[in-house]
Amino acid sequence: MVNIIGHRKIWLLIAGALIVTSIVFVSLWGLKFGIDFTGGSLLELSFGNRPTTADLASDLASFGAENVSIQPVGDQGMLLRFKSVDETRHQEILKRLEEKFGEVEEKRFESIGPTIGKELRTKAIYSMVIVLICIILYIAWAFRKVSKPVASWKYGMIAVFALLHDIGVPIGLFAVLGRFAGVEVNSAFVAAVLTIIGYSVNDTIVVFDRVRENLIHAGGDYENFDKIVNESVNQTFARSINTTLTTLLALVAIFFWGGESVKYFALALIVGIGLGAYSSIFIASPALVFWQELAEKKRK
Amino acid sequence: MNKIKRFFANAGKKLFTTARAKVWWLIILILAITVLAGFLDYPKYYDQGVNWLKKTTGIALPEFYKLPFRLGLDLLGGTHLIYEADTSAIPDKDRDDALEGVRDVIERRVNAFGVAEPVVQTTSAGDSQRVIVELAGIKDVSEAIKMIGETPLLEFKEQNPDVGTMQILTDEQKKEMNDYNTAAKKTANEVLKKARAKGADFAALAEEYSADEATKAVGGDLGFITKDGVYSDWYDDAAKLKVGGVSSLIETDEYIGILKVVDIQDSKEVKANHLLICWEGADRCESDLSKEDAKKKIDELKTQATAKNFVDLVKENSTEPGASESGGDLGWFGKDVMVKPFETATFEMKVGEISDVLETQFGYHLIYKDDERTVKEYRVSRILVDKKTASEIAPPSEEWIYTGLTGKQLVRAQVQFDPNTNEPQVGLEFNDEGKTLFGEITTRNVGKPVAIFLDSEAISVPNVQEPIKDGQAVISGSFTIPEAKLLAQRLNAGALPVPINLISQETIGAALGQESVAKSLIAGLIGFLAVIIFMILYYRLPGFLSALSLIFYAVLVLAFFKLIPVTLTLAGIAGFVLSVGMAVDANVLIFERMKEELRLGKPLGSAIDEGFKRAWPSIRDGNLTTLISCLVLFWFSTSMIKGFALTLSVGVIMSLFSALFITRTFLNFIAPWFHKGAWLFGIRKKNSTKQI
Repeated sequence: MVNIIGHRKIWLLIAGALIVTSIVFVSLWGLKFGIDFTGGSLLELSFGNRPTTADLASDLASFGAENVSIQPVGDQGMLLRFKSVDETRHQEILKRLEEKFGEVEEKRFESIGPTIGKELRTKAIYSMVIVLICIILYIAWAFRKVSKPVASWKYGMIAVFALLHDIGVPIGLFAVLGRFAGVEVNSAFVAAVLTIIGYSVNDTIVVFDRVRENLIHAGGDYENFDKIVNESVNQTFARSINTTLTTLLALVAIFFWGGESVKYFALALIVGIGLGAYSSIFIASPALVFWQELAEKKRK
Repeated sequence: MNKIKRFFANAGKKLFTTARAKVWWLIILILAITVLAGFLDYPKYYDQGVNWLKKTTGIALPEFYKLPFRLGLDLLGGTHLIYEADTSAIPDKDRDDALEGVRDVIERRVNAFGVAEPVVQTTSAGDSQRVIVELAGIKDVSEAIKMIGETPLLEFKEQNPDVGTMQILTDEQKKEMNDYNTAAKKTANEVLKKARAKGADFAALAEEYSADEATKAVGGDLGFITKDGVYSDWYDDAAKLKVGGVSSLIETDEYIGILKVVDIQDSKEVKANHLLICWEGADRCESDLSKEDAKKKIDELKTQATAKNFVDLVKENSTEPGASESGGDLGWFGKDVMVKPFETATFEMKVGEISDVLETQFGYHLIYKDDERTVKEYRVSRILVDKKTASEIAPPSEEWIYTGLTGKQLVRAQVQFDPNTNEPQVGLEFNDEGKTLFGEITTRNVGKPVAIFLDSEAISVPNVQEPIKDGQAVISGSFTIPEAKLLAQRLNAGALPVPINLISQETIGAALGQESVAKSLIAGLIGFLAVIIFMILYYRLPGFLSALSLIFYAVLVLAFFKLIPVTLTLAGIAGFVLSVGMAVDANVLIFERMKEELRLGKPLGSAIDEGFKRAWPSIRDGNLTTLISCLVLFWFSTSMIKGFALTLSVGVIMSLFSALFITRTFLNFIAPWFHKGAWLFGIRKKNSTKQI
C-alpha cells in the first residue's frame, strides 16, 4: 500500500503552491478576454501571398481600423482582431485588403457588439456560481448518511476546495498563455471550466464513496481514520488514474488533431482533468484527514 | 461435432426459460440494434449490399432510411446573425407581437435565399428583443445581410393628441446629460490641443473626431461661408481669425465646435428693391394679365419711375405677394442668391439707378439699386463634438404615434394608378387583423390625417374622408413607375413592423467548415482507438469487452445524434470524443471492483454481480455531477457551447446505459467459459491486496 496520507503535508503544500502561483499570475497579468466577452471583430483570412504582420498592421491602421491585433495562423492564414464593425465597414476592409495584397479568402468573420459581450460575461459568471452551488448541494445530499467522524458538509467543502484547485490552475495557465502566446479566454474556456468542475468532482466523489463504504465496514473504528482513508485512496488509485488516462487520451487527440479552434479548449480540459485526478488523490483525502485531526485536537 | 449438437439441443430446450437464454437474447438484441444503428449512421454499405443483391438475385429491397447529420454552422459554413429589434416606440403589450412580426418577415425574406433549413428565432435578453438568423451553407453573406436589412419598415401612424410636450428630466437623466457633456468638453479640449499643435493636420483630426457626418469625410470643410448664408452662426467667430488660425472652443447647447480658417476672399454684396409685373402662367403668379398686357404695363411704369417714387410705385403696382408692405425691398444679397439674369443686372448697375425692363421666369422686373458693399468670406473647416440636450435625452412626445398597424398585417402590395391624375400608386391589401385595425383607425380619425411611414419617413399623409372597412389602402407619394414597382416588390417580400439593427455576426467560410469536419473526424478516430487500445492492454478480456461495448456506444450515440437531432458543431464533436473517454469510466470502476472481488477468491459470476452493485453509487454520483454541469452549460447558451453540452449529456447518459447494460451482458455472456482465466481478467494468480 502506498502511504499517501502519511505524506499529506507535502501534497497539500504542492497544491497550495500551485494555487498561489496561479493567483499571482492572474493578478499580475490578468486574463486576455476574447471578443465574445469584450465585443469586437475577428477576421480570419487566407492569403494567396501572405503579407508580413507588420505590413498588414500598418495598412489597416492607415485605413482607420481601431485596436488591430494580428496573429499568423498556419501557412497562409492571418487572424485579425479589431473593434466591432458593421457590415459595410467589414466589406470595405475586405475590399481594401484584396486591392492591396491580392487574393484573399475570408474563412471566418465574427463581429460582436458590446451588449452581447456584456451579457455573455454576466452569464459566464452566473453559470460558474450556479454549478458550484449545485455541486456542493449534491455532495451534501449524497453524503447525508455519513456524519461520523467527519460531518457530511465537510466532504462537500473539501470537494469544492479540490475543485477550486482544479479550475484555479488552468485559469493561471491561461493568464500565462494570454500574456506570452496571445491565447484568449472565451466562452469555450468557460465551457471547459464548467466541464472540469463536473468531471473532476466525480473523481473526488469516487474516493469519498470508498471512504464512506470502508467507514461503515470498520463499524465505528474512528481511531484509525487516517488508515481507513489511506486504504480507500489506494483502492481507488488505479481507477482514478485509468479513467483520467482514457479521458486524457481522447482530449490529447483533440488537442493535436482537432484543429485550431478547439485546441485551447482541449488544453484547458487536459490540464483541469489531469489535475482533477491529482486533487482527488493527493488533496481531497489528505485534507479530510487533516481537518479531522484539527477537530480532534480542539476536542482534546 | 457432437459437442456442438448437444450445445444447440440444450440451447433449444432452454430457449425461453433459463437465465442463460436471457443472456443470449440480450446479446442478439444488442447486435441487432448495433447493426441497425450502424446502418443509420452510415447507410452506404447497406445500400451497396442491396444493389448487389438486386443485381445477383433480382430481389429488390428498399434502400436504408436516409437521415443526414445535422451539422452546425462552423462545420457547414454559414452565418449566425443577431438582430436587435427596436421596440421602444411600441407599447409594452404589443412588443412580443411586433417581434413575432419581425421574425415572420425575416423568415419570408430568408426563404428567398434558397438556404436549406434557415433558422429564424426570437429571444429576449433583459430589455432587448432579438431575432437570431442562422443561414447554413450560404455563399454570399454580405448580400444576405443587405437583403434582410433592406426589408422595408412600414407603419401606419395617427396624430398624437399631446404632441410636443417637453418632458422633465429625472435626476438620472440629468446626470446622464451632464456626464456626457463633461466628457464631450474633455474630448473637445484634447482635440483643440492637437489642432493647435505645430504641424497639426486639421482635416485628419476632423475625420477622426468630428461628429458632423456630412463634412467629416472632407476634413470638415464647409466651403466659403458668408454673413447671411447657411453657416452664418459661425461667421463672427471666423471673422476673428487669420488664415490658418484655429478658434477656441465654440460651445452651444448642442455641440462644441472648433473652427479653422483656411482662406479668406472679398466679395461684393448689393442692396436693391424691385417691382414685379407677372403674367398668367409665370412662376408663382396669381395675376390674370396676359403677357402682352404685362409688358405694356411695365413699360409704362418704367417711364414713370424715379429713385424717389420707386418704392411707392412698387407698393401700388407690384404683383409680388407682400410688396405693398415691403416695397419690394430685397435687402443685402451676394452672388448665387437670385436667378441669374436678375443677379447679373443688379450687380452691373450703378447705385441709385433704375434698370431697364428685365424678363425672368417670374415676370417683368424693374430694379432699383440701393447700395453696394464689399464683404469678406471665409473658407473654414470645423470639428464638431456632440453634446446632448435635454430634448435628446427625453425627446418631446412625437407628432405621430404607433397604431399597431404595420407591415406585419400586409397581405399584398401592388402598383396601381390614380384614376384622376394617372399617377402611379402602391395599393395595399391587409389581412383580417389589419382590416379590423385599419377600420378602427380610420373611424376614430375621420377628418384627421393618418400617416404612412416607410423606413421611418412619412411618405404619404392622407386625410381620412370616411372610415375604410375593406382593408384597402393606397400609398401615393409622387412615385415614378419603377419606384412604385420596387416599393411594391419590397413590401410583398415583407415589411417590418419595427426597425432592426445587426448587433452580432459570426460567419464561417465553407472551406474552413470542411477542414474542420476532416480534422475532427481524424481526432475522434485517434482518440477512440487510443482509448480502446489502452483498455485492452490494461484490462485484457474485460477490456476487450468494454471496447466492444464502446463501439456499440459510439454507433448508438451517433444514431441518436441523427434521430434527436443534435446539431453537431466542432465543440459538439469535442464533447462526443470527450464522452468516449468518460464512457470508459463506468467500465473502469466496475472492472476494478470486479478484480477486487476476484482477488478475494469469489467466483467470476458473483464477482461480476458484486462489482456492478458496488460500483453503482460512484458511477451514479460521478455522472450526475457531469450532467449538472451540462445543464448549466446548456443554459449558458451560445450555440457553440450548447452543442458541446448536448453531445456531452447524450454521451454521458448513453455511457451509463452501455456500461450497466451492455458490458454487463457481455460479461455474463462469457462468464461460463472462463472460470479459470484469471490472467485474462488481469489478476495475478496469488491472492493479494497489494497494487501497483
